[in-house]
Amino acid sequence: MGAPHPRSPRPAGGAEAAFLPGPPASGATPGYRAPSCTQGGARRAGIMTDVHRRFLQLLMTHGVLEERGVRRLQKHCYRVHGRTTAVEELEDFINNINSVLESLYIEIKKGATEDDGRPVYALVNLATTPVSKMASDFAENELDLFRKALELIIDSETGFASSTNILNLVDQLKGKKMRKKEAEQVLQKFVQNKWLIEKEGEFTLHSRAILEMEQYIRETYPDAVKTCNICHSLLIQGQSCETCGIRMHLPCVAKYFQSAPEPRCPHCNDYWPHEIPEVFNPDKEREAGTSKANKKPSRSRQH
Amino acid sequence: MLQKPRNRGRPNTQAERERDWARGAAEEAPSTSRGAGGSQEARGTSSQGGRRAEASPEVGPRSQQQLELKVAELVQFLLIKDQKKIPIKRTDIVKHVIGDYKDIFPDLLKLAAERLEYVFGYKLVELEPKSNTYILINTLEPVEEDAEVRGDQGTPTTGLLMIVLGLIFMKGNTIKETEVWDFLRRLGVYPTKKHLVFGDPKKLITEEFVRQRYLEYRRIPHTDPVDYEFQWGPRTNLETSKMKVLKFVAKVHNQDPKDWPAQYCEALADEEARARPETGGPTPSS
Repeated sequence: MGAPHPRSPRPAGGAEAAFLPGPPASGATPGYRAPSCTQGGARRAGIMTDVHRRFLQLLMTHGVLEERGVRRLQKHCYRVHGRTTAVEELEDFINNINSVLESLYIEIKKGATEDDGRPVYALVNLATTPVSKMASDFAENELDLFRKALELIIDSETGFASSTNILNLVDQLKGKKMRKKEAEQVLQKFVQNKWLIEKEGEFTLHSRAILEMEQYIRETYPDAVKTCNICHSLLIQGQSCETCGIRMHLPCVAKYFQSAPEPRCPHCNDYWPHEIPEVFNPDKEREAGTSKANKKPSRSRQH
Repeated sequence: MLQKPRNRGRPNTQAERERDWARGAAEEAPSTSRGAGGSQEARGTSSQGGRRAEASPEVGPRSQQQLELKVAELVQFLLIKDQKKIPIKRTDIVKHVIGDYKDIFPDLLKLAAERLEYVFGYKLVELEPKSNTYILINTLEPVEEDAEVRGDQGTPTTGLLMIVLGLIFMKGNTIKETEVWDFLRRLGVYPTKKHLVFGDPKKLITEEFVRQRYLEYRRIPHTDPVDYEFQWGPRTNLETSKMKVLKFVAKVHNQDPKDWPAQYCEALADEEARARPETGGPTPSS
């Protein structure tokens, strides 16, 4: 069952040609028909099979998923559909799906946790203001609380906002009036739903939020936003040079200074004064049988 | 790669951002989250060349890009709404997503339905003919091992639902509420007692399942004390079948479906009716 009308492989029309319109409605533009032209150099859209669909369906049940879990999910989907041989390399598998998702303005985005560099994946929206998923799960005042917390986090030096500072803004929230007690619970809800991480009474963004909202954050807070000198992505937690002020993610620091005898700032060459973390090694973790609970206890208060 | 059309009506003020943020609306043009920050891309004019329409979205021709974006929004809206298992009203779709594109609503919906099915394996189906409400049906068969790789709990309440659906069918497609509780009590499920897995079973069965359109719940007139009756709701007929439910009941009793000849015949007839080609399509023609 369930073999939807598969599209024949498209010529290099990429995402555009995959968007197959019906007969033009009256008053529609000539451009309404599937154009034969392409977005210059667009890659050929991949083919979806039930393996890919099941993968997407199940991936969507996770806000964000670690690479280990993604591989497990991929294997599961191949197994269910009776294809245990030739499991495609994860990167190609995901790129294939992403080429199909392109026309829907979503993608499976890969990122890394800011504290220990674990690779993580999330299905993110590229087009709309990216909190629409959040918007359906939370009330207006709850969303506003998140926005307030987000602003505090972005403005902070450490990437963390204290519970006290967030709760003090409760009176300014839009929508139904919220008491501090209630706000505490809402913050916990954000933690449970993987939008925020809590450490010792302070809150920062979960990798899920960073993946989903990077674009929104850059556009909304262009002056306050910090970026990593190495990977150029959004930076919430990290280390900074005391001389010139450039910042780097902890995992980026780890990779950059991996075999450096004397760590020096890539920008001003001054001595790098912070502890250099270890590069994330998934194999090491598997051997030790450790769980996520064994994350490095050190807070990245190294600005 | 994705083009970045400039949205003329782009909300720039904080107030507008907030409004959009809360609504999750897509007033903004797509900008990819790859590479350099969006702030540069946020300003500046489009580099589309001749493809984009210059007119505002309300009048005149719409570009391929705008249409594509509208379909994308619609797909996302349907996916998110269906997660709650509440049927999606056409009026909500028009209000929250379609907006100015009302004139081509049927085409947009058709395109969104195609994408939903091709990409995600979900079929957009009208709950009942002419009801103007929709649900998504999974074209993939769920498998037990799915539960191990899911990120959410799935629905633990499905077991209870299946039992109630089975009861209704075996009792001739309608059953009194009192009979339902007589049966469930034997399984340790009470209308008035909180249940470890199901929480409030009475609320679950008489409200939640009804709201999700799995069950119909009607008052039986002239009964004293008041009694209600249950029947299958429209979603049940779309998502499962008499034969599937009969097989479930048989499995629970460790017997064969044919051991209930009357129900088996009925289930067979239902299978035959389903096998005949449908007369109506899934999306409205209006």
